[in-house]
Amino acid sequence: MGHLLVLSVDLVGSLRTDEFVQQTLNGLTLGAVYALIALGYSMVYGVLKLLNFAHGDVYMVGAFIGFGMMQWLGFRGTDGVWAPVISTWFVLFVVFVVAMVGTAGLGVAIERFAYRPLRNAPRIAPLISALGVSFFIAYSMQLMFGAQQRDYNVFGIDNGRLFLTGWELPGTDVRVPLVRILIIVSALALMVALWFLVTKTRTGKAMRATSFDREAAAMMGIDIDRVIVFTFVLGSALAGAAGVMFSLRAPASVTMGFLAGLKGFTAAVIGGIGSIPGAMGGGLILGLAEAYTQGYVSSKWSDMFVFVLLIGFMLFRPQGLFGKADIRKV
Amino acid sequence: MKKRGLVVYALATLVAAAFASTAGAGSSTVERSEALNCKNRMRIAFMTPLTGDAGFLGNEQASWAKYAVKTLAPKYGLKVQLVLGDTQLSADLASSLAQKYIADQRVAAVIGPSTSGAVAAVSSALAQAGLIHVSPSATRTSLTKGSQKQATPYFFRVVPDDDIQGPADALFMVNQLKVKKVVVVDSQEPYSVGLGDAIERTLKAKGVSVQRESVTVDRSDFSPIVTKVPNDADVVFFGTQQPPKAQTFAQQLIEQGKKAKLFSGDGANDPDKFKVPGSYVSNFAAPIDLFPYNKAIIAGWQKDNPGATLGSFGPPTYGAVQVALNAIKRACDAGKGTIKNRKDVLRQVKRIVVKQWILGGSFKFSTKSNDPLNGQFYIFQIQPDGKYKLVAPKV
Repeated sequence: MGHLLVLSVDLVGSLRTDEFVQQTLNGLTLGAVYALIALGYSMVYGVLKLLNFAHGDVYMVGAFIGFGMMQWLGFRGTDGVWAPVISTWFVLFVVFVVAMVGTAGLGVAIERFAYRPLRNAPRIAPLISALGVSFFIAYSMQLMFGAQQRDYNVFGIDNGRLFLTGWELPGTDVRVPLVRILIIVSALALMVALWFLVTKTRTGKAMRATSFDREAAAMMGIDIDRVIVFTFVLGSALAGAAGVMFSLRAPASVTMGFLAGLKGFTAAVIGGIGSIPGAMGGGLILGLAEAYTQGYVSSKWSDMFVFVLLIGFMLFRPQGLFGKADIRKV
Repeated sequence: MKKRGLVVYALATLVAAAFASTAGAGSSTVERSEALNCKNRMRIAFMTPLTGDAGFLGNEQASWAKYAVKTLAPKYGLKVQLVLGDTQLSADLASSLAQKYIADQRVAAVIGPSTSGAVAAVSSALAQAGLIHVSPSATRTSLTKGSQKQATPYFFRVVPDDDIQGPADALFMVNQLKVKKVVVVDSQEPYSVGLGDAIERTLKAKGVSVQRESVTVDRSDFSPIVTKVPNDADVVFFGTQQPPKAQTFAQQLIEQGKKAKLFSGDGANDPDKFKVPGSYVSNFAAPIDLFPYNKAIIAGWQKDNPGATLGSFGPPTYGAVQVALNAIKRACDAGKGTIKNRKDVLRQVKRIVVKQWILGGSFKFSTKSNDPLNGQFYIFQIQPDGKYKLVAPKV
C-alpha cells in the first residue's frame, strides 16, 4: 500500500502541465489516425459482419500513393528541392484526394474479388480470404516498390514551415505545429462528413438498414451489393487518408499496415465494433492511452497495454463503450 | 484382418518416418566430407534480410555481393555462383536457410548473416558442417568476445563491434561536444540495446548524466519519447537500423523545440535518408570514395546498379566476399585443386591480408578474436546541404 502511495505521488509529481499537454497532443494526433482506420473496420463489420484484416494494408497503400503524389507534384531535381507546380496547400489537398480515391478503388477490388464470391460461405472463409489479401497486398507492394521506407520529407517543404510554425497553446510552452493541426482537423472533418452521410442521407439510411438486417433490407428494395461496395469505398478512402496523415510525420513502409490494422481493430472493439461514434471514440482513447503509457510508464509496455485493453474489452465488455449488446433468441 | 493390416502398415510407416527424420536431422548438422573440385562451379551463400523492414539493407548488400563475386572470383581463378537467402530479420528463417546451405555440398562458404541475432542462431549449425561464415554487418560484441560467445570460431566479421562503436561515440560526445546530459534510446533489438548499453556505460564513467529510454522496433512515431527529453539535454542517442526513423526522430526533436542534437549509429548511416542538419552519425567505414584506389570499384558497381547511391552497408559486403573468396582460393591451392573438407577453408581465413581494403587501409584479422585488427569507427556531422562531413577521426 505504501509503495502504491509513493508510486502515485511520483506519477502526479511527474505530470508537469506542459509535458501532459504535449502528451495529450501526441495521443490525439495518433488517435485521429487510429480512429479513421477503426471506422473502416467498423463499417464493414456493421454491414457484412466481416473482419476485414486487409484494411491495414489499404491504409499502407494510401500512404504509398501519397508518397508518390508528393514526389510527383512537389519535389524537383536530383536533390529533391520543394518546388511545387501548384501551391503547397493545394498539393497536400491533391495528395489526400488521390490517396483516398486510389484506396477506394482498391477497396472495391478487394470486395469484388476476395469477399463477394464468399458472401454465403461459412464465416471462416472470408476471414481467411482477408488474411490472404492482406499478405498479397503487402508483398505485391514490396515487389513493385521495394522494402525501403518512404519519407514524405514534409520537413523539406518551405524550410520546415509545417513543423516550425503553429499555434501556441495558451498558458503553456506547447506549440501545436501546422502539420498536427492539419492532421487533427482533417480527421475531424472526415469524421463529421461520415457522420452526416450515414445519419442524414438516403445512402446512409440504406447502410444502416443493411447493417440492421441484410435480408429485410433487400426485401425493402435496397440494392445490397451497391451498399456493400459503397461501404468499402468509404472505409478504404478513410484508411487512405489515415495513411497520408500518419506519413506526414513518420516514414511509410510496406509492413506498416499490419500493426496499424491491429490497432485500428482494437480501437473499433474498444468503441464497439459496428458503431461509428464508437470507432471515433475508440481511436482517440487508444491514441491517448498509447501516448500516456509511453510518456509516464514505459514505451516498452505501450503495445502490450494496447492489446491488454483489447483482451479486457473482449472479456468484460465485448460490445465496447458505445456498442449495444446482441440479444439473441434461443 | 484387413483392419489389422492397415494398423500394422500405419505403424511401420510411422517408425520409418521417425528413422528418416532422425537420420535427416543428424545429417543436416554433422559435417560431411565430400570434396570440392576447384575447377567446378562452387557456391557462396549470402544470408541477409531482402524483404521486410530491413530489406533496404539486404538489397544494398546483395548488390555489392553480386558485384564482388562477378569481379573478384575470376581474379582468383574460381567459378562461383552467389546464392541469396532472405532472412527477413528472423532467426528462425536464418536457421532454415543454414540447413539448406549445409546440405548443399557445392556451398564452400557463407556470407552473413547480416544481423547479429541471425548469426547467433546459425553459427553452431554452420560450424558443425565445417562452413565458415563472414558477416559484413553483425556488430554485437558477444558474438566474438567475452566468456559466453554467441558465435563459433567459424564466424568472422569484417566490421568492428559495438564495444568499439559505443565508446567511440560516447567519447566524441564527451570530448568534442562537451555533453552534460544525454538521453540514450534503444529500439529493443540486440543491435541497438548492445550499442546503447556500451554508450551509457562510457558516458556514466565520464560523469555524464544519462536518461535511458526504449521504443519498440516497429514504432515510427516517437513523439511521446521526444516529449520526455529534458530541455537541457545536449544529445539524444538513438540506436536504429532504419535511417528514415533516425530522420523522423531528429525532426520530431526540432518540432517539439528540443535543443538536443540527434546522434545515431552505423545502422542509420545513409545520406539519402538521414539528413537533418546538425545531427551526428557514426559508421564502421569512412566513405569509400575517400580512397582513390576505390574509384574503379565504385564505377563498376554504379554501372551494374544505375541510379543507386553509395550506402554504408554495401562496401563491407564486398570486403566479406573478398575474404571468403581469398580463403577458398588459398584452400584450393593448399589442396592442389581440391578442397577435401570444408574445414580447409577455415584454416586459411586468419592468414588473409588485403592491401587496399575497400574500407580504407589494409585488412587482416586480429589474433585475439575473429574481428578486424585495429577496427575503428568514424563520426560524421550532417551539413546544411545534407552531406556527411567526417569530424572524427581525421583520415
